[in-house]
Amino acid sequence: MGNARKRKKIFRQLLTYAVNTVSILFLLLPLVALLFGSVQTEKDLAVDVQNPLPNRITFINFVRLFQGTEVEASVASYIPPNMDYLGRAFFNSTFVSLTVTLAILVLGSLSAYSISRLREKWTTAFLYISLAVRLLPVMALMVPLYITLRGFHMLNSLTGIIITEIGFLVPYAIWILTSFFSTLPRGLEDAARIDGCSRIQVLLRIILPLSTPGIASCGVIIFIMSWNELVIPLIVSTQPQVMTIPVLLAGLTGDRYLFYTLMMAICLIALTPTVILALLLRKYVVRGLTAGALKG
Amino acid sequence: MVLKGARFIEILMMFGLLKTGKEISKSRLSFLLNLPAILFMMAIIAYPIAFAIYLAFHRVGIRELRTGKMPFYGLGNFQALLQDEVFWISIKQTFEFSIFVVILEVLLGLGIALVIHKTRGRMSTFIRVIMLLPWAVPPIVNALLWRFIFSSQYGYLNAVLYSFGFIDHFLIWLGNPKLALYCVGIAHIWRTTPFAILLIHAAMEGIPQSLFEAAQVDGASAWQSFSKVMLPLLMPALILVMILRTTWAFQAFDEILGITGGGPQNATWVAAFYTYRYAFQPPQDVGLGAASSFFLALVIGIFAIVYIRFFRKVQVEWE
Repeated sequence: MGNARKRKKIFRQLLTYAVNTVSILFLLLPLVALLFGSVQTEKDLAVDVQNPLPNRITFINFVRLFQGTEVEASVASYIPPNMDYLGRAFFNSTFVSLTVTLAILVLGSLSAYSISRLREKWTTAFLYISLAVRLLPVMALMVPLYITLRGFHMLNSLTGIIITEIGFLVPYAIWILTSFFSTLPRGLEDAARIDGCSRIQVLLRIILPLSTPGIASCGVIIFIMSWNELVIPLIVSTQPQVMTIPVLLAGLTGDRYLFYTLMMAICLIALTPTVILALLLRKYVVRGLTAGALKG
Repeated sequence: MVLKGARFIEILMMFGLLKTGKEISKSRLSFLLNLPAILFMMAIIAYPIAFAIYLAFHRVGIRELRTGKMPFYGLGNFQALLQDEVFWISIKQTFEFSIFVVILEVLLGLGIALVIHKTRGRMSTFIRVIMLLPWAVPPIVNALLWRFIFSSQYGYLNAVLYSFGFIDHFLIWLGNPKLALYCVGIAHIWRTTPFAILLIHAAMEGIPQSLFEAAQVDGASAWQSFSKVMLPLLMPALILVMILRTTWAFQAFDEILGITGGGPQNATWVAAFYTYRYAFQPPQDVGLGAASSFFLALVIGIFAIVYIRFFRKVQVEWE
């Protein structure tokens, strides 16, 4: 009897260990492949191709990326010409994502305040429209927007990218922020109103300071979404000066001469900002994503 | 910094209010507060939808783009679309891709959410910490990464399978028209599963522990308390994940562009990729692209309606 129970306990422990390991491998193995790929030379990779572990660790790929294309123009050290714009693309991506995030937080909290606190009938309808709009295929919208932006001479400009991303992401922010704002107790607001605060003052002095975690959640999610967005900047920008990181990387897909190890090094550089942000602000991201999908 | 900005707006607002002498009415205020967001959504979402309808019925090729004159074309674009074999292939593959992705993802999401929910210890905590990483990886980076993994010559997958003795020669993944779509699907699943884990796990945490205790007292086995107690209560969350993920899988583009670029032949063409190739790649035909995007919008529109109705129902129940 006691033996059977003991065996069952060991079995349970083994099972726990096994499912945990499988989950971790699923989540991390592709990133391990990326890391291992980026820290070896193409020659080492080719010589020892059956071995998933790197033979020799070297950072030569990163060094070559930062030196630019002028150094050694032989085939063995081929770097795609657009890589000269890597720094520029980093700047563009940062600028676009920051502007989009700030603008959306302002627009979104104004809307979310009126939806969650003033409770007019039509604003509730507007909330459901924003929910539906979230599902719209961005590719379908880009076809007409391409012609419109072309007409306004906003193709190949960061302004075109920023405006489009704001319009496309603001419904999502409204939805997340509304769910945060509506969790605040109504009594607070009433007390402030009795003390003579105007409605705007209630928003600025009470709602906003109290929902800092909600605003942080919304901000980090929008920032990551904007940074990762490919379709909008891909269609708006074709010149390397206005490319964001994802567009620059999309240009690598047709490159037959590009070595896999160098490609992995570029990928590692490109994914660092959002991955670090998601790791550091994990709790906010989790809260925002669940609030945006589960509660209204 | 946020507070300083707030103070600034406040001062502006107070000046506005001082002039009128009395407070704005509630309805006017909510109009004003929503106006900026509505303007952006009109410009970027509402207007393009109307314009897309116009484009679909007009001839908009590269020549028309240059001259700026778009002649009426009737149903010509739709006719060309329906006669295009590749369009039908793309639609078929969009469905195949979405069904594959959503089923696997819900199962994986449920599995990993259960692991986090049921097991305690260092490994489980570690999973919680790294869970979001794939979600944060830029889709195009994800595409290039999986291109390396699936490479037939230098691929990481082949290396792993070989060194564990599962295969004795390197296999062709992306070059095989039968496998390529599913390979791209796996890459897409890896990036988007965290979202499923997150929602399903949040729903699990919301189930009162007392229900499981009651089931245990009644002599339910572990499997019974999962299938008879937990699963029914998780249903709303599972349906929500399925609706959201289906609409996103339908628009999958980044991984297609980055991993296979539609190939081999047309084996990985999907609806969004079709629209992209016709509207934005030479020989540019924006009219045809607009017509083809209606298919995407139609299917997703149906899902959106289901989503909203479902949402309102669930919300009523929760309240």
